[in-house]
Amino acid sequence: MLPASVIEELRRIVGRESVIDSANDLHIFERDASIEGALPDAVVLAATTAQVSAVIKVAAKHHIPVVPRGAGTGLSGGAVTIRGGIALQVTRMRRIIEIDTVAQTALVEPGVVNQELSLAAASHGLFYAPDPSSQKACTIGGNAAENSGGPHCLYYGVTTNHVLGMEVVLADGSVHWVSGDSPDRIGLDLCGVLVGSEGTLCAITKIKVRLLRIPPSVATLLAAFPTIETASHAVSAIIARGIVPAALEMMDRVTVGAVEAHYRAGYPTDAGAVLLVEVDGIAESTRELMSAVREVLAENEGYAMREAQTPAERDLLWAGRKGAIGALGRIKPNYYLHDGVVPRSRLPQVLSAVGEIGEHYKLPVANVFHAGDGNLHPNILFDLRDRDVLPQVEGAGEEMLRAVVELGGALSGEHGIGLEKSAFMPWVFTPDDLDAMQRVKRALDVDGLLNPGKIFPDPSRKHVHLAGRTGLAVEAKWW
Amino acid sequence: MVVTTPAVEKPATAEELAQRLHQAAASGSMVVPVGGGRAAGMGGAPLRCDVELHTTRLDRVLEHSQADMVVSVEAGIKLEALQSELGKAGQFLPLDPFNSPGHTIGGLLATGWTGPLRQRYGSARDFLIGIRVALPDGHLVSAGGRVVKNVSGYDMMKLHFGAMGSLGVIVAASFKVFPRPLHDVTVESRHGSIEDAWAEATHALELPLAPAALELFSDGRVLARFFGSPDAVNRMVAELGWKNADASVWTEHSRRGPESWARITVPQHALRGILTTLPAHAQWWASPGSGIANWSFGNSPADVRKARAAAEAAHGSLVLMASPAEIAAQLGAWGTPPRTIQLMGRLKQAFDPTGILNPGRFVV
Repeated sequence: MLPASVIEELRRIVGRESVIDSANDLHIFERDASIEGALPDAVVLAATTAQVSAVIKVAAKHHIPVVPRGAGTGLSGGAVTIRGGIALQVTRMRRIIEIDTVAQTALVEPGVVNQELSLAAASHGLFYAPDPSSQKACTIGGNAAENSGGPHCLYYGVTTNHVLGMEVVLADGSVHWVSGDSPDRIGLDLCGVLVGSEGTLCAITKIKVRLLRIPPSVATLLAAFPTIETASHAVSAIIARGIVPAALEMMDRVTVGAVEAHYRAGYPTDAGAVLLVEVDGIAESTRELMSAVREVLAENEGYAMREAQTPAERDLLWAGRKGAIGALGRIKPNYYLHDGVVPRSRLPQVLSAVGEIGEHYKLPVANVFHAGDGNLHPNILFDLRDRDVLPQVEGAGEEMLRAVVELGGALSGEHGIGLEKSAFMPWVFTPDDLDAMQRVKRALDVDGLLNPGKIFPDPSRKHVHLAGRTGLAVEAKWW
Repeated sequence: MVVTTPAVEKPATAEELAQRLHQAAASGSMVVPVGGGRAAGMGGAPLRCDVELHTTRLDRVLEHSQADMVVSVEAGIKLEALQSELGKAGQFLPLDPFNSPGHTIGGLLATGWTGPLRQRYGSARDFLIGIRVALPDGHLVSAGGRVVKNVSGYDMMKLHFGAMGSLGVIVAASFKVFPRPLHDVTVESRHGSIEDAWAEATHALELPLAPAALELFSDGRVLARFFGSPDAVNRMVAELGWKNADASVWTEHSRRGPESWARITVPQHALRGILTTLPAHAQWWASPGSGIANWSFGNSPADVRKARAAAEAAHGSLVLMASPAEIAAQLGAWGTPPRTIQLMGRLKQAFDPTGILNPGRFVV
């Protein structure tokens, strides 16, 4: 609970209706799309940069934590107010301020939904490349805060490769522009450091992004494989051939069954795994690349290859992929979606480890992920009504992540560390590594008010498994 | 500038380098990190240099995982040595900086130098996936990793990239590397008038398969390079109708490194206008698709001042890449400090509180 006088100060900034502090209403903002939750003391719906700045100044004055929040689709607890305080909701800031067709850039407010931007750009023959599976709901501000990825990042790169500049509000309420649309700006790359900082260094109030020309030709192919291993080898073989497809996605048997029951997209349900491969460019290159891809897939036991013949067929193939997680609800009502990255060639090993861990815990696991990047998403399926299932789910997830790290991988490819993985950071980083990052935090947020309790291990949160396992961190180091 | 004879240190390991850096910091000695020395003229002259810390003995490839298309190297390795290692696997790092050969990887990261291939691949900022840095307090710290997609913790790669060694000394780095293109064709056009050259360059950049590199020269020459599948590349080349050129022109081009040289960067669409503000017979070459031009400015501070004013008015910059010391002192290497200079100063303070790293060279 915030003192009434603070609530009053906040109301003076954003208006009476835009501050929420009644217990019932606060529950709506308790969670994001991760499995943890915590109530904020108040929710403030800001509509302008000036309001964001003024709210943060009030918070700073009273030492109240502030957690910037977009659509709340994040998967690592980034928007969860774990220390209470103010959830600073920016979804009212949803203007696409400008699409510059000459410079091929867009200037947007943080609450603009990812897909809305691409739809708006499409009328100019342009698109915004990073395409998280939640793109119908997630915001560009959230994407920038989390450095989000998506299926097409294999070729096009992740959010940080497409953000040209940002207007940000720091922990003292000061407003700054970082970077812009001129290359190689003078001085330190503040923009590059702030993208992906998960709301711990700034609130983002405007984003300037690069737009790309929509490729004239796209070819999308679905191929079946007898096993996850054969599909994984096919992935490596495509890349080894010098082909970097626009997207290269894998789904395992569990996922394919659920997707097919839901979407009837023609996915082969007898397959051990399917790959969705997309190449784009001009007609000549998509034709040549796709025929090379087919060759490589066939050499690696690919079968039942089916290329989308119409845009509608292509959309259906993608609907299956992007809607896969929802379709899994047919198997079990709840899921815990994990995110880790391994060097691409380690995919067969990590996936077989994931399978074994699922069996050990007697929990079904569905794999649907960005195979080309080595970015796996094991999805643990469960029913919250089952007694004592949550510790099992958490345990399985942690073991899977451990397997990722032991194979030279990273804790997260695109979901962020947030609350979910902060305790695991010592698995891959030494205390000195983490201290270097915290120097950045302390330099820009002296009192630690922005999104406290995220990214860095929090000694006050007990994590029973951690202590016995930190020793392996050094062995998993990437040097 | 205080003229002293600096001690030259060439540590053989990252640990030794960190130790030397720490010793220097503890005794208040000013340290200038040195790689290949190819970008030594960039930035302001160091206010003082007590220790030159060379990375040249840190020249190993730590790991090249061909299947993963990832390479980890020590910072002192020369770009050419790395390319030849990657070439054995049909791979490459799309970096082709000017004033080559002899750049070290660490130097390229610290300075952020790029070349014509930036048009297609971006800068090393876009494919640097891990970094290891020695800090003045003697710690060796890592960030990122060896995977191509990673959001574990802050993006410290961005912090050190282009920071001119002001926060720490880069000792190792990991990169996402790229397959050699299936087909690689270079074409050239020559024009009497610069207007025609711009028109040709614009036409080429608007092709549905844009060139991987396109360079426009003040004498009206335009060079373009296409990467892609054979049919696609051949169609583009046929559409352009330029003359074929040998790929060796790019090696020759990368050797450019005039004695007095400035880099102009502006939003891409503003580049042409800025170049018209240069003196009539100015010698320059440009990457119109990236908004970057390099100008061999001779010996006229007044002209540089005018061009810098124009670039800054267009939200860009003009940086001295090499110049006689007196000109650099007169003009300042970097121009108007960024508005966020105070924030940058706070970061500098956090990593190099006593200011022993490269004092005077950079904006912080």
